[in-house]
Amino acid sequence: MSMQAAEQLINGLILGAMYALVASGLSLIWGSLKMLNFAHGEFYMLGGYMVFMAFTIMGMHPLIALIFTMVSVFLMGAILQHLLIRPLVDKPGWDVSHIVITLGISIFLQNFAHRVWGENFQNVPYFFNGTSTIFGLGISHQRILILVVTVLVIFLLITFLKKSRAGWALRATAQDRDAATLYGVDVQKVYMWTMGLSAALAALSAAMLAPIYSVNPWMGNAVLTKGFIVCVLGGLGSLEGAILGGILLATAESLGVLFWSSEWKDVVSFALLIIVLWIRPSGLFGTKEW
Amino acid sequence: MVHDIKTRVAQNVSLFANGPWLSRSVVLFLLAAPLLAPDPYIVHILTLSLMYAVLAGSWNLLCGYAGIFSFGHQVFFGIGAYVSAIMAMRMGTSPWLGLLIGGGAAALISVVVALPCLRLRAAPYIAIATLGMAEISRVVAQNLVGLTRGELGLWGIPGLSDIALPLAGTISFTHNRIAYYYVMFVLFLLITGAIYWLIKSPFGIALKSIRESQDAAESLGVNVALYKIMVFIISAFFAGVVGSFYAHYILILTPSSVLSISVVVEIITITLIGGLGIIWGPIAGAFILTFSLEYLRFMGDYRLLIYGAILIMIILFMPEGFVRRIFPKRKLD
Repeated sequence: MSMQAAEQLINGLILGAMYALVASGLSLIWGSLKMLNFAHGEFYMLGGYMVFMAFTIMGMHPLIALIFTMVSVFLMGAILQHLLIRPLVDKPGWDVSHIVITLGISIFLQNFAHRVWGENFQNVPYFFNGTSTIFGLGISHQRILILVVTVLVIFLLITFLKKSRAGWALRATAQDRDAATLYGVDVQKVYMWTMGLSAALAALSAAMLAPIYSVNPWMGNAVLTKGFIVCVLGGLGSLEGAILGGILLATAESLGVLFWSSEWKDVVSFALLIIVLWIRPSGLFGTKEW
Repeated sequence: MVHDIKTRVAQNVSLFANGPWLSRSVVLFLLAAPLLAPDPYIVHILTLSLMYAVLAGSWNLLCGYAGIFSFGHQVFFGIGAYVSAIMAMRMGTSPWLGLLIGGGAAALISVVVALPCLRLRAAPYIAIATLGMAEISRVVAQNLVGLTRGELGLWGIPGLSDIALPLAGTISFTHNRIAYYYVMFVLFLLITGAIYWLIKSPFGIALKSIRESQDAAESLGVNVALYKIMVFIISAFFAGVVGSFYAHYILILTPSSVLSISVVVEIITITLIGGLGIIWGPIAGAFILTFSLEYLRFMGDYRLLIYGAILIMIILFMPEGFVRRIFPKRKLD
């Protein structure tokens, strides 16, 4: 039992790292654009297909495949933001129109992927084979890689936001758009970069998870709802909240499976979401803006 | 004398332009439609259009008038459908009574859905909370296999039972799409009429004041929480009635067909195509979307791709919807 629990805990931690990546992208978008990105799951899905194309079909080196995936999905995110979202941003009705436009993009991209790659589940092989035994627990190298890459990326992301000028511009925009404009921040450019960055983060987590789960056009749906739950738990717009919320949710889910059957897992996480929204709408770290 | 005639003509013209002639002719057209085109397939599409018009209309009451951007309207539709179907199958309740029971069940559930939304103001927060509720209901319906048969589908639901009407005699609903159409037509008139009456009443004015500014409404003595719960209950009741009709018309239910996000996406698309916060909006939207999707059937798998594209185009180029675009000057309710 305790071995099983420990194994579940480690798997939960790895899954949590992925939730954290997806949710931090959603949180960045919410922070700067005040937008719930319903198409975020589709960037995740496109990331899965990009790594499938680069790694499985074209046989690129895993590292190059990862970079290719992130860059291509970054561009997709930035272009979509520039063409479709920019005309609506900050206009009257934005708090409803952003939901509709991202829903439209989501439906479009899902069915686009369905047309291009078909409905079959596509498999991506492990980047590295083999397992290591740590404290008597067998963990595959792929999972270790996921943990390492995620920690690294989150560290880089925080450094970028705290230390670089672009990161300052992003945070300034999130805090007060008008003031940021007055200080010479090109807000529209920040929006575009944020969207690209958030799409690339989703794509990275999909690429890392693709060998464990398979790739299909609808893989983004479950991830999107999980991402929303994590964001609300941590407080929308809070990066630290997204990271801690991701680990919290995944740990709760993995340990929960030990106590109740896995079909009811989602009910528990959604119930958690609603209770948090009800009692503390600002989440664990969020600001008061609900 | 000439002057008199002139003013009379002018009065009549303005009455013609501003009066409810359009509403009347649309209702007359809908009344005659199955007789003009008695093809079962077209009657089926007309019935679905009316159904979606009412369903989207009930969402429009919530979002367009009260400003509560609910993402969980499929819960009310689905609960209405499942409760009525299961009651009819297990206890032999009449499907006619089921229409009311389905609506009542949805209204009960709506209180639970409304509670977390009372403190939330921003549309995105409400959207997430209601989406969470909807996903819970879908997973529950999928997992309670003993009651709902899960994704295998609840089949063998009885259709509407025969009724005897004065003048018309006994009407059988077996393989009689035209009879179903007229039931939906009556529901459409009753529910749309009720919504119109509501938004014209002081209740509706209070709702609109909440939509415009919750703080201002509160400061003027509007009990915001009470009104929000009430509009949820009313809207859910209507959606539940439509859900129950759907169950006894389509005769098979699966959680993914009545409780999935795609239902509310369809509702939102319909309302936006027609126009949010306009009584005619969901009606126009339902007919435009349902008929154009049927027309696009030959495009097979590309349909949903186009569906996504429509949603994007509408919000980019015509966010006010068709109805307002056609009547830009008129004051629309």
